[in-house]
Amino acid sequence: MKTISWGALLLSLTLMTAPATAQGSTKGSGNPFEQSKFVPDISLIVDVSAAYRNFLDSRYEQFAIPGFSSPYADNPAEELEGMNGRRGFNFNYGELVLYSVVDPYFDLFGVFTLNEDEFGVEEAYFTTRFLPYGLKVKGGKFLSHFGRINEQHTHYWDFANAPLVHNVFFGESMLNDKGFRLTWVPPTDFYLLFGGEIMQGENAMSYGHDGIANPAGDTVIEEAGGPNMFVAYVKTSLDVGNLTILGGVSNAYGSTRSNHGLDVAGEPGEAVSGDTNVLGGDLTFKYMFDSIRYVSIQGEYVYRHFNGRQYTKDETDTVSDQALKRRQGGLYAQVVGRLTKRWRMGGRLDLLHLNNIYLEHIKQDHPSNLPRFTTMLEYNPTEFSRLRLQYSYDRSRFELLSAGDLRRPTHELVFQINLAIGAHGAHAF
Amino acid sequence: MKNICILFVLFALLAVPALAVRLQVVTTYPYIADLVEQVGQDRVRVHAMAGGQWDPHTIVPKPSFIAKLRRADLLVINGAQLEIGWLPPLMNQANNPRTNVGSSGLLDLSRYVELIDVPTSVSRAHGDIHPDGNPHFHLNPDNIPPLAQAIADRLAEIDMENASFYLNNCEAFTKKWEERLPIWAEKMSALRGQWVIEYHKNYDYLLHHYGIQLLGTVESLPGIPPTSRHIVALEQKIQNNAPRCILQDVYNPAEASEHLARKFDIPMIVLPHDIGAVREAEGIFSLFDEIIRRLTHE
Repeated sequence: MKTISWGALLLSLTLMTAPATAQGSTKGSGNPFEQSKFVPDISLIVDVSAAYRNFLDSRYEQFAIPGFSSPYADNPAEELEGMNGRRGFNFNYGELVLYSVVDPYFDLFGVFTLNEDEFGVEEAYFTTRFLPYGLKVKGGKFLSHFGRINEQHTHYWDFANAPLVHNVFFGESMLNDKGFRLTWVPPTDFYLLFGGEIMQGENAMSYGHDGIANPAGDTVIEEAGGPNMFVAYVKTSLDVGNLTILGGVSNAYGSTRSNHGLDVAGEPGEAVSGDTNVLGGDLTFKYMFDSIRYVSIQGEYVYRHFNGRQYTKDETDTVSDQALKRRQGGLYAQVVGRLTKRWRMGGRLDLLHLNNIYLEHIKQDHPSNLPRFTTMLEYNPTEFSRLRLQYSYDRSRFELLSAGDLRRPTHELVFQINLAIGAHGAHAF
Repeated sequence: MKNICILFVLFALLAVPALAVRLQVVTTYPYIADLVEQVGQDRVRVHAMAGGQWDPHTIVPKPSFIAKLRRADLLVINGAQLEIGWLPPLMNQANNPRTNVGSSGLLDLSRYVELIDVPTSVSRAHGDIHPDGNPHFHLNPDNIPPLAQAIADRLAEIDMENASFYLNNCEAFTKKWEERLPIWAEKMSALRGQWVIEYHKNYDYLLHHYGIQLLGTVESLPGIPPTSRHIVALEQKIQNNAPRCILQDVYNPAEASEHLARKFDIPMIVLPHDIGAVREAEGIFSLFDEIIRRLTHE
């Protein structure tokens, strides 16, 4: 992430669009080096929200999901939750999207996240437009097509936040990495898609490859050379009258390296090294009553399998290690209905049902069956604006106290406004 | 991983016989598919993605469309941004270079007719407007022959072996079409100069062609449901001009039109906008027959 000033960004946008506005007045007599016809499709999405929780931010930030977030993380809640993070008003993000054909061979997409003082590259990738036999290569930084919701941009989600299971396994940025993807659409009568991705393997929650040293600088965990994360998936779909069914299975495999203060002297810390295999299955049913009204049922199951070692360090900087196994799984299931042209409503169940952690083959005492219940009501004046009210009751978070972990049921109310201007962004199914 | 590799190979083998000999044509809307059929007959296999009963602006981009687009030799679209809300991601996912923008396998019909209502200022404050002009141009019967010609020319270009077949079919179709024009014109002459109301600007080309005047739309702005204030203004216009009827499409909510029809005792006529919108509109000829029958019924 590079920090640049908003002024510079606005200036560059003005420069890009200026020829387009000047064109009308200079038509005919104009600049022989006119370039405005080549301005790419530009759109800007802004998302703001007001949030209320029954805990103050400073306290809520300390809540963790035992077994899923490290007890040594500085701010467990932040690691899990990016959107609507503050009680009160939130500027969730601005998203600037640029797209154009490069030449007869490539398309180029850029999706930039604008935070209050940061300019981030969420996605920047090319896709090929010339490969035969239903093949396409995508390269750059992009959201993995693991499962269903992972590839969707935030503004397309049906709820104001990501499913819990995606948060705990992939973090707030989802599975988003640098690499290449090859997809193949075979020439079958029904929809079928095969995809494979080779990724660098950088993900705060499940994957990593950097070596980790102790405070003295001695290597404790060897670096795993990149690229070292691989994703494969198959998706298919079926229409039965007005009902469309879409399903897929996905697999992500890679090395894990995570460090929470193992290299910091004089404080307890931990690091983890090993391999993570994540399996996912997704299923969507969408029934169209007519051109406007529909009901959609969507769910994903995600299972994480980790084998490796856990390194712990005490205040005296003594490092000890033991075998660590994680067998964790969770799902979300949601129902969303569009009642009229403007009103949508829905409910979602999140459940982390499996939370088995083994240290030296001994099962640790962590809670399982952690649920979150969410419901939302949406008013869409047009397809370019959305107002959403969302309530959730979260029973997955615990306060880590010396006497033991204490569940802190959290009520959350979010009012979110999402607006889009510029090029018309059509969405996939 | 290994299993997925085996699946890959298996489907590659399965896929080979699926490569059909006939030219595969995919169209966005049913009326285009019928024109392609008129011209291509048994030498093409046509599939229309959208159903005629759906709102053409917001077609649900079903994944099954991707499978169709993947195998298309030719994709024929309405254009004028009617498909902008649903087609681009499908084309992107279909991995088919034959139908890329700029390739001979993509035909944009809006290039072959003159568009009306091209907005002088483009802003979404005016609702979901189409910057290139009104895209519902196929309801002007005079526009049908040039559209068929554009399709025939393109089929002839990408399938040169059958070029004369397509061009001859197109000529025969145009002749048959032109025989119907005076019959329709005669029936419609009774409506010339009269006022009508429509829900959405779906039928402007039809109205233009037959000299019918548009008093207003039921929706307050394109794509924006009617507000009570807009309805009050429209009621004033109805009182002053005594329109003949209210034209309602099959996919927008009809309550507001029904209310106006009851209140002022004028008929609300449900008009098909495309083939399949109503049972009687089975092809391009019967679509126009049915539109004219419904308009001149009483």
